[in-house]
Amino acid sequence: MERYGTGYLEERKLVKRWPQPIPAIVALVLTLAVFYATWWIFQDPRGWMRMYTPYVGYMYTRWWLIMLIWMVYIFNYWPFKRKWLEDTHPVVKGAVLTVISVVILWVLIKGFFESLLGNYGIAYFNPGNLLKLPGMTEFFALEYASLACLMFAAIASWLSPAWVVACEEVPWQNLNQPGKGISILVATFFLSTLIFFMTMHSHMGILYYPWQYFTSIAPPYWEKFANTVSGNFHVSWIMCCTVTVWIVETIWERFPFKLIRTNWLRRVVAFFGIIAIAWAMHLFLYFAQELTWGPAIRGTRLINAPDWRWLHVGEMAVFFLVPALFITFYCGNWPKRFSLPVNVLVRTLITISAAILLYIFYYKTSHDYLGTQKGFMHEQQFPMIPTIWLINIWLVHHWFMDNWPGWKMVPKTAEEIAADHAAEKAKLAEVRWDPALGWGLGAGAVCGVAIYFITLSVLPWVYQNITVIK
Amino acid sequence: MSEDKGKISRRNFFKGAAMGVLGGTALGMGLFSYSPWRKSYFPDVKRKLADIGACKSIKVTNISETSWFDNAVLMGDIKGAGGLLVNQYSYNWPPFGDGSGLGKGSYEKGIAKIKHLLPNNLEEAWAITEKLSVSPQNAGGFAALIEIEEMDGRKRKFLLDSGWSYKWMDESFKREGIDQMLKNKEIEALFISHEHFDHYWGVPVTYKYDPTITTYIPDGFYPEGLQYLQDAGHKGKVIKIKPGLNPMIPGLATFVFAVPIICRVYGEQAIYANVKDLGLVSITGCCHFGIIQFSETAFREIKYEKDNLYGIYGGLHISPFEDWDPKYDDLVLSLGKYGFQKIGCNHCTGLMCAKKFVEAGYPVVKGTARHRTKETNYLGNGDKIGYGIEV
Ligand SMILES: [Fe+2]
Ligand SMILES: [Fe+2]
Repeated sequence: MERYGTGYLEERKLVKRWPQPIPAIVALVLTLAVFYATWWIFQDPRGWMRMYTPYVGYMYTRWWLIMLIWMVYIFNYWPFKRKWLEDTHPVVKGAVLTVISVVILWVLIKGFFESLLGNYGIAYFNPGNLLKLPGMTEFFALEYASLACLMFAAIASWLSPAWVVACEEVPWQNLNQPGKGISILVATFFLSTLIFFMTMHSHMGILYYPWQYFTSIAPPYWEKFANTVSGNFHVSWIMCCTVTVWIVETIWERFPFKLIRTNWLRRVVAFFGIIAIAWAMHLFLYFAQELTWGPAIRGTRLINAPDWRWLHVGEMAVFFLVPALFITFYCGNWPKRFSLPVNVLVRTLITISAAILLYIFYYKTSHDYLGTQKGFMHEQQFPMIPTIWLINIWLVHHWFMDNWPGWKMVPKTAEEIAADHAAEKAKLAEVRWDPALGWGLGAGAVCGVAIYFITLSVLPWVYQNITVIK
Repeated sequence: MSEDKGKISRRNFFKGAAMGVLGGTALGMGLFSYSPWRKSYFPDVKRKLADIGACKSIKVTNISETSWFDNAVLMGDIKGAGGLLVNQYSYNWPPFGDGSGLGKGSYEKGIAKIKHLLPNNLEEAWAITEKLSVSPQNAGGFAALIEIEEMDGRKRKFLLDSGWSYKWMDESFKREGIDQMLKNKEIEALFISHEHFDHYWGVPVTYKYDPTITTYIPDGFYPEGLQYLQDAGHKGKVIKIKPGLNPMIPGLATFVFAVPIICRVYGEQAIYANVKDLGLVSITGCCHFGIIQFSETAFREIKYEKDNLYGIYGGLHISPFEDWDPKYDDLVLSLGKYGFQKIGCNHCTGLMCAKKFVEAGYPVVKGTARHRTKETNYLGNGDKIGYGIEV
């Protein structure tokens, strides 16, 4: 029976053509070159298509990410046959699959959101309908519709992969494609819609005058807690969820959830555990900003405004995703030689350090080459656009092009796959209860709490002593 | 044997410790970070209470607040040129039009067409640029005259910004008698709030009447903007103000914020006036940094009468393009807490926002909606507002 791409990513062996770090460097240079060229063509405010208006480019960037996730994680490359995936040259594969992702992206935005939802459901998805409002300009009609659409994308970018990573495709895991893909798509899209209405709809409802009391909760219910009526409060934790899902899937290898042996319990704990970790991140990154820039002041704009601070939490979170994906995609998820928890901890520490360096590097230099302006805050600049744009390019390179040319794809043999499964079992069996582990856990937890409080005292000092922006 | 056992348990200990560290940190992050206890980490606000002196009264004349006349035309241009992050000099707006069309211009090509006519023959310069630019009829500008009365009764005048269209600004200057004041050197200095087209590109109109006037600009002008000062025919002193407080005369100070601004502009300067027995008056061009930020900054930085925030004049940059965002509601909802007693708003405040201010019961001083100002919620073109003085 045709399996399409089911299990393709686990069952492909990426063989390095040269010893490391050459392949990783080649991959980095190549993808950065593509990043810069495509940035200039599509996004750059000095470039050709100038989609960084900002919201139009923002929306396409986010939805493109989801198209890639849908094609690979939910539909397992269906309708492409396994043989085609294995035998086609990576460049051809990359080109064909990318074109398809862009076509569905366009159909989804123009067909589903703008035409269907925007004409027969909710006016704010369709710029044409918004334009009928008195005083509305074409520019903002397009920006607002893009904003609504991209807020939906933020939710989908968390839920679509979560259903695969946390819930393990349940209950459709044994279904063939495209049945499985369609089922998961419908389920996650339904959930995304629910969350959209509960988190973003009120934001859209007060975007117009007068507040739309009859259709949305106004002022939004989170006003007191978040210290803002802006939906950025939700963008923040939802982006943290997206980032956490991918951290769990990549550098954490689904640890610690995979230690739970009962299937249903593991899936439930994983789904809600990801949310819990994301909320810890969401609240901490907000606090980190308070520690460096002082408490937020409601009603201000930019760096001191709570709405911007929440948005910036999401932006910071994406900075963590970039090194995590690089470690998994191009560094073979290094290191692998310790026990699973130690490997995970080491990768996490590397990711955090790299993310901080990347953050500093971004704010020090991006205005010199992205066509943007210097400054942490800007009314209309969103670092999530370039970071997600780069991640999209990496996903295309890793999922569609098998890391070409630094690596060569060879399908694993049946024995190799069996060996993988055995090794995975052994890895899990190794982490089991033991008094020494218990002592370690206790000592580690105390250290963890201590690390947290030390970080709090060090942060303001670090911020004062590093000049990021002159 | 025992050595072997020791090894295994050490490995297990590390396994547990790794999990514990991750878990413990996450726990701290989740439980403490947004709790009320976190506030113990915030340092107390230390007020600097810088003394900028006090003045008896201050009067502001709105020379022009209508930066552009048709918002749809402006936004159409911005959309066509590629959005809000595009460099303003590349729009091909007047006076830097070079005939190559929307989004394709540059300062160099634009100024080359008119440079020889600045600042004395602005009629001809404008006639040339009208043919070469995109939407020349839409250009207006922002400028205000500030008259301050010192404690000893001496009156002094300053100009805040010089608008955009040469034609419109010249008409507006004449309407308010600014041309004569400049010629007579009654106006001491020109403050440029920021490099935006609608505040700065009309600067030759000021220099036409007084080419030697001292000009204060905020730090952060791009090379084109600095070059324009010279190309516009300025012969006087240029003072570049670093971010922070800059006391001018007793009762008057400017403050520069290092902020990146849409259309590729950086840095903005605004004015604090301390009026005897009343309190602080904020006078802003665009206020891209936000009026509440301006008030909070005053609280931290300077000493003012009765510790009272008294008045506001100017563009408040809330919805300059009649756009909206829930965060603007945060501002509308919060502004009341600051207790301003006299608000004269216009320009990039947004008509929608002014309306919400009025609905919230804030003391908005109504205008007369003359000379192309659209509504009376704005303190309009030709209107005056006084703080400590009736006008
Ligand atoms: Fe302005
Ligand atoms: Fe401005």
